[in-house]
Amino acid sequence: MNNNVIQGTNLAKIYNKGGGGEVGAVQNVSVEIRRGEYAAIMGASGSGKSTLMNILGCLDKPTSGSLKLDGIEVSTLTDEELARVRNKKIGFVFQSFNLLARTNALENVELPLIYSDKTDISRLARHALESVGLADRVHHNPSELSGGQQQRVAIARALVTDPEIIFADEPTGNLDSKSSLEIMALFQQLNEKGRTIVLVTHEPDIAQHARRIIQIADGRIVSDEVNPNPRVAEQEMSALLPKEVAHENR
Amino acid sequence: MKTGRVLKVAFKGLGKNKLRTFLMMIGIVIGITALTLIVSAGLGAQNRVMERVKKFGLESMMVFAGAGREVGQPTSGQPATTLSLEDATMLKQEIKTVADVAPFGRKGQSEVKFQEKSTTTTVFGVTPSWAPVWDWDAAEGDFITDEDMSNLARICVIGPTVQKELFGTANPIGEQLRIGSVQFEIRGVMQAKGTSPAGGDMDDRIYIPLTTFMRRVANVDYISAIKIRLNTSKDMAKTAADINALLRERHKLAVGTPDDFTITTPTEVTKMAEKVAGTFNIFLVLVAVISLIAGGVVVANIMLISVNERRKEIGLRKAVGARRKDIIRQFLYEATAVTLTGGVIGIVLGAIGAKILEAFTQMPMAVSWESVALGVVFSTLVGILAGLQPAKKAAALQPIEALR
Repeated sequence: MNNNVIQGTNLAKIYNKGGGGEVGAVQNVSVEIRRGEYAAIMGASGSGKSTLMNILGCLDKPTSGSLKLDGIEVSTLTDEELARVRNKKIGFVFQSFNLLARTNALENVELPLIYSDKTDISRLARHALESVGLADRVHHNPSELSGGQQQRVAIARALVTDPEIIFADEPTGNLDSKSSLEIMALFQQLNEKGRTIVLVTHEPDIAQHARRIIQIADGRIVSDEVNPNPRVAEQEMSALLPKEVAHENR
Repeated sequence: MKTGRVLKVAFKGLGKNKLRTFLMMIGIVIGITALTLIVSAGLGAQNRVMERVKKFGLESMMVFAGAGREVGQPTSGQPATTLSLEDATMLKQEIKTVADVAPFGRKGQSEVKFQEKSTTTTVFGVTPSWAPVWDWDAAEGDFITDEDMSNLARICVIGPTVQKELFGTANPIGEQLRIGSVQFEIRGVMQAKGTSPAGGDMDDRIYIPLTTFMRRVANVDYISAIKIRLNTSKDMAKTAADINALLRERHKLAVGTPDDFTITTPTEVTKMAEKVAGTFNIFLVLVAVISLIAGGVVVANIMLISVNERRKEIGLRKAVGARRKDIIRQFLYEATAVTLTGGVIGIVLGAIGAKILEAFTQMPMAVSWESVALGVVFSTLVGILAGLQPAKKAAALQPIEALR
């Protein structure tokens, strides 16, 4: 069995600029993500890292190149088949959470399932919320949840279909440092259980949690290295805790 | 995605945006309420016209003295003197299709007094045949008899309006009243008949024997008109031609001279009444169409705004696996649910409004379910078409473009 969840070959995304000029947001990128990997795509803003992630996650179509997801060539699929792939094989976590307003956590997590052929929607969604530690927030609306909790609802939504791979685009971008660490700890837990994760970030501190770091600049991969000593979010949190307690007791 | 799930999504979406849903619905509600009310009023008016025509009688004709007289038009200037009692008798004798005739004389603006009270009404001199020919008899007391005719009796039968004005709720039978300077005993009260095809009050009348009328009240030797009851409503034109020929011969009219009488058939009465109602109806239909279009535009606008506003939601749904048609169906069901619900509410409000209007204004109302249903279908279509285009556009985007 093919051990690559993702195999992108010579992927490019070219935007037409006004006046006939062209901008290559992603230029001839070839990348493989293996099953069970935790990879961070890093780069400055405008480097093309998000565009690359959108292509790898089938949210956007590449201008050229080939993309195999779980062994299936997706660049030739129809819109309908792509929707099916997104539904079954991919989970997304966005910077701005993208939860439906006025819709409780449970219904937000159920969202991917209503487009699937699964039947025990409610049970699966509850289970996913439990796995991110929100069993007691099932009937809360996003407006009643903290940023960290909202992002965890979004992660539960990404997990609920049991996808092959989870893409997270700046998942900590809208969070304070404590909530960020909680989210990073959650990703590490998931990865330890075997979940494949691709994280996109411009913050080196966040990228350091991944076991592989891919650097992007000007739409090209400039380095692709194993991270020998990934940061462990759990440890960082316990280091943070006494300080806060001390702060509160002062 | 299963239809049940899409429906659930659509209804949840509506429930979560109550203001938007309300605004969308209110346009349709107003449109359909107005339509229901207006169509009810129009249909009610039409029904009333048909009622009036039936009052005139479908198997009857009217011969008026004088040329070019139209039903319901007040006689101007000199009264026509061309029709005689003899004419009526001859019509009944000579023309086979004529079942009965009711000749009558008429004097408008007559002063009538009872003790200190007085009123102005129309005095009719009639024969006993009036009752069967018009299918219109005394409700209380008795109608005029043949004996009254030959005795030139000074008795009268009054209409309910006259009764109300002079006697209120008291029993008028046996009382004496004065028409001009002549004293009459009240013999009976007529059945109420309401409004005539032309819109006059058919109950504001006093009936006296035709002979008494000609000799003692009007002092004339002619009559105003003859109401004719036919054996059949078929061959109306043939009968009219026969009557025309007979009267021309009796009046010794040379070929080329115009008629000195006018024959009116139910067809003409219907036409006249429809002319009045028709103008009314065109206006109403115009108002109804405008209100429906306005309602449709409101739904269209809000649908358009809603779809644009919800691009992010569409992008998210697509990102988690919604197909293009799932999105389109969701918006379609939302629009249909809103406009359909709005339509039903509109019909109910309109029907209630029609009943209230009927109670307060005496305007006849008749709810026509067919046209109202058509209105609902139309507004639903507008809502769907308005929602479909932007939803299609948003659903066709790459998920990331919609999410941005």
